[in-house]
Amino acid sequence: MSNLLQEIEQQITGLSTGLQRQNVGIVREIGDGVARIEGLTDAMMNEMLDFGNGVMGLALNLEETEVGAIILGDYTGIKEGQEVRTTGKLLQVPVGKGLLGRVVNTLGEPLDGKGPITPTTFYPVEKIAPGIIKRRSVNQPVQTGIMPIDAMIPIGRGQRELIIGDRSTGKTTLGIDTMINNARLNRAAEEAGNQDYRPLYSIYVAIGQKQSNIANVIRVLEENGALPHTIVVVAAASDSATSQYLAPFAGCAMGEWFMDHGMDALIIYDDLSKHATAYRQVSLVLKRPSGREAYPGDVFYLHSRLLERSARLNEQNGGGSLTALPIIETQMGDVSAYIPTNVISITDGQIYLETDLFYQGVRPAISVGLSVSRVGSAAQIKAMKQVAGRIKGDLAQFRELAAFAQFGSDLDAKTQALIARGRRIVEIFKQPQYQPVPVELQVAVLWAVQNNFLDDVPVEQVKAFQGRLADFLTTRKADLLARLAREREIKPDLAEALKAALTEFKQLSA
Amino acid sequence: MRISKYARRLAKELFTLCRVEGRLEEARVRQVVHRLVTGRPRGYAGILRHFLRLVELDLARRSARVESAHPLPPDIRATLENALNRRHGPALRLAFVENPALLGGLRVRVGSDVYDGSVAGRLASLDARFQT
Repeated sequence: MSNLLQEIEQQITGLSTGLQRQNVGIVREIGDGVARIEGLTDAMMNEMLDFGNGVMGLALNLEETEVGAIILGDYTGIKEGQEVRTTGKLLQVPVGKGLLGRVVNTLGEPLDGKGPITPTTFYPVEKIAPGIIKRRSVNQPVQTGIMPIDAMIPIGRGQRELIIGDRSTGKTTLGIDTMINNARLNRAAEEAGNQDYRPLYSIYVAIGQKQSNIANVIRVLEENGALPHTIVVVAAASDSATSQYLAPFAGCAMGEWFMDHGMDALIIYDDLSKHATAYRQVSLVLKRPSGREAYPGDVFYLHSRLLERSARLNEQNGGGSLTALPIIETQMGDVSAYIPTNVISITDGQIYLETDLFYQGVRPAISVGLSVSRVGSAAQIKAMKQVAGRIKGDLAQFRELAAFAQFGSDLDAKTQALIARGRRIVEIFKQPQYQPVPVELQVAVLWAVQNNFLDDVPVEQVKAFQGRLADFLTTRKADLLARLAREREIKPDLAEALKAALTEFKQLSA
Repeated sequence: MRISKYARRLAKELFTLCRVEGRLEEARVRQVVHRLVTGRPRGYAGILRHFLRLVELDLARRSARVESAHPLPPDIRATLENALNRRHGPALRLAFVENPALLGGLRVRVGSDVYDGSVAGRLASLDARFQT
């Protein structure tokens, strides 16, 4: 009982409201989610401001006599002449595993009606990226489950790989497929009790997207069982420009928590073009000087400071990672526009999606020539390196020869063989959406291509052949695939086993 | 009326010239205004407007508004004046205002700093704490 009394007394002492100095200002102008406040002489950059009635703001412009602030949430209740106070705090969002499986807004408040989130930890939205001492080079793969990416443009944990392309070329789908594949891998490792596997958690940040599209993404994730391993941060098209501007930073803070605690996370920013537009709006209303295409001068820094926060930490710092897949939408395939060139130069490579390929039926419509991954090949598993090493070159050669072959029919046998191989590879790489392929199956199929098992299959039947082969391998040769997944390398005896399996399959299907 | 950058800069320069040892000198301010009004240099209206604003803000920084529920006895006023002068520098202009809504205690505002020791302020912060 005495303990209880002490506790209550402590609470009361905690509540003692002594004389406190507060710094206040007066709202002089308000509109478009941006306020200009007179006074607030002690306000700090990026400090939270209390507008009263639970409305908060963020100080972005510190001027001689005024402070320019963006308002988080509903700004319609704020009036001219209203008092604003400094809080001495930076903008924070809840972080932690409790957010997995939830749909939240920029401030980390739930939007999915699944009850309140009880966070234990908060992270600041703006944070300096880990320095060079804390980092190490990328050495573990992110299995996207998308064959052309895993084979030719591999992504490593801690890498920043840009997905760029025109509207409706399948940019978001690449991100969703990656989330679905990693959720599948996480689940498989959990079920098998595999302690060595490092689960990869996903964060999907929707910036300025249509609500219907976001609902669709959530539905697909839910149907494929990926939502429990994912956090969805939503700043939809109808949300204020300020929340669209802050959403990727909030998502990044949630990802950093996983990285700081020795875990791996993947964050998809969908998309940064709309983010730049939202930031342009905020900057223009704040009366910051505008530059090229009316974007403010620090739009490069906006994206570089965001993407620099993705990193692979070394063992001394827990060994966690944050992989970023920013998405950029181009207009008429123009990759030389302002924002695309900025983000291309910041990231460690890009996956370029082409409209023409998409309509030719090559889906995912990845342009092999323009897509690169600058660091990912270090993270590719050895078996994939063995089978996919030559594929990018073969495909590039095929594209060159295919253009050349249109003009003449007399081709030597070697050229014809190269073209035939190229056509088959293009077919093999076609893949329906939301059906990621496990890496061991990818390796087996590519091994079959490299070892001439598909040369006698007509091009138009390659896809059907591949489907039957996948079925055969997963149902009747599951132990072989399991061995491939375990060993991660094609040693001579494994190659023999693969050869035997493929010969058996060919005999069965003949 | 939009004040040009040139006018702002000039007003700021004039304002700086009116300060002696960090304090605004009234005679100089009057002199500047007189010269601007009589001389009418280019953009003088804008300069005057911005100059006025700078002087206003300076005055606000140097004036304290003391609110209390009841009129304060002279000895408390003197103590308060001394304390505020010590903290915010001399030549602080004090204004004593009665505000029954405070219920009790004092609320002092100097520039954009507010020291709220009023009963109403304490109740409000207690209320805010219970709500979180």
